[in-house]
Amino acid sequence: MEEVLRVLPEGVKEIIKQYSKQERGGIEEIRLRINRPLEVIINGSPQFPRLNGREYYVSREDASQMTNKLSQYSLYALEEELKKGFVTIQGGHRVGLAGKVITSNGSVKAIRDIASFNVRIAKQKIGIATPLLSYLYSDGWMNTVILGPPNSGKTTLLRDLTRLMAEGDKGRRIASSKVGIIDERSEIAGCVKGIPQHQLGKRVDILDACPKAEGMMMMIRSMSPDILIVDEIGGLKESEAIIEAVNAGIRLVVTVHGNTIEDLYRRPSIQELIRSGMFKRFVELSRTRGPGTVKSVKDHKGNEIRRSKVI
Amino acid sequence: MKLLGAILIVLASTWAGVEWSRTVSERSRQLRMLKSALQSLEAEIVYGMTPLSVACSHICRQVGHPVSWFFDSFRKKLEEGHTTAYDAWMKSMDEVWKYTAFRQEEKEIMKQLGATIGQQDREHEQKQLQLALIHLEREEQEARNNQMKYEKMFKSLGFLGGILLVILLI
Repeated sequence: MEEVLRVLPEGVKEIIKQYSKQERGGIEEIRLRINRPLEVIINGSPQFPRLNGREYYVSREDASQMTNKLSQYSLYALEEELKKGFVTIQGGHRVGLAGKVITSNGSVKAIRDIASFNVRIAKQKIGIATPLLSYLYSDGWMNTVILGPPNSGKTTLLRDLTRLMAEGDKGRRIASSKVGIIDERSEIAGCVKGIPQHQLGKRVDILDACPKAEGMMMMIRSMSPDILIVDEIGGLKESEAIIEAVNAGIRLVVTVHGNTIEDLYRRPSIQELIRSGMFKRFVELSRTRGPGTVKSVKDHKGNEIRRSKVI
Repeated sequence: MKLLGAILIVLASTWAGVEWSRTVSERSRQLRMLKSALQSLEAEIVYGMTPLSVACSHICRQVGHPVSWFFDSFRKKLEEGHTTAYDAWMKSMDEVWKYTAFRQEEKEIMKQLGATIGQQDREHEQKQLQLALIHLEREEQEARNNQMKYEKMFKSLGFLGGILLVILLI
């Protein structure tokens, strides 16, 4: 939370400090929009906090203070981030940006006059992948797909799985592996200048902000990983790279948008990949009991696996 | 005794002349320093995309006093926060300017640069820096001309003035 307070404008900082420690722990998003009231989302419910009995309206001054703090007074240093629309700050939290977009030749060049900030608090949930161990590991990690609708905790689960793989588990006699992460959206590791901000274990290498298809090949050539971690696959090129990687003897864990395996069969770019039977495990997530609910774990034929043995 | 006095007078006036000429050469020396500092800043911004405070701490190590004092004070103000880059720039200028040999022209150039520093994308930062460098180049040219013209003159003037005084007194 300290890291987040550091980038907030003074006025907003005061308001966030009014919350009790417990409430502060539940904050998911802090939203600033110029000339509109400050919004704080705590445990899924939006609130418009009051200061001296009035809603706090975010001023232009606040916005420029925030921009200054995010960029360390050097807007040019944020060029890439302004193109992508978000900044990753220390602690792995992300600040989403919106405002006037400058384009050149039809593609986004930068966001100028930033009018909306969305500070999304990253929370690492250590240990959420442990119950899945017995499904995903037997004499080695299996190629796994994590699927679920947006906001169902795919990336959070992937992150914890990464940690388990990289650290190993002495009690269950799982050796640690060299893990390579292709983190195109800087979400898995939340890198700041290439250094991961989440606890991911010792044996992790990250290609931050790297296009997935190219990144996978780069990783294989240069870092000899045992396992590759890729978020949100979808394109044809990525499928090709995945086939390449599997044939090189590398294990893969990926996430995909979609509710069930049947959805994946309908997507032309990845149906081949799923049909080939390369992926042995499918973890289906849903939001029914909050993000991170594991609906089922299926094998490559689509049959649900019951927990058979505990390792 | 007379001779000793005469020598002392000549020595003193020669020294005064040398000091005087130094103030002339000092401006062009500091201008060169400022120019190389801004060139480093340009490289840091354009190729390194380094944030200003880090870039300034690098520059401080590369250039000598009193130009380094300016960048040091600018860096400190940025790290403290609660300000804008322009404010920090102007305040640092106010603090350090009296220790430099710069004149009003340089102050104007730096002020103009400070108005946009850190608030634009790389391309524009580079353009502003290059504009400032061109202006400084012109000032340096002028300073060097002055130096050539006056440096020797002040030195000889000191020495000859001393001799004149001695002759008059004898």
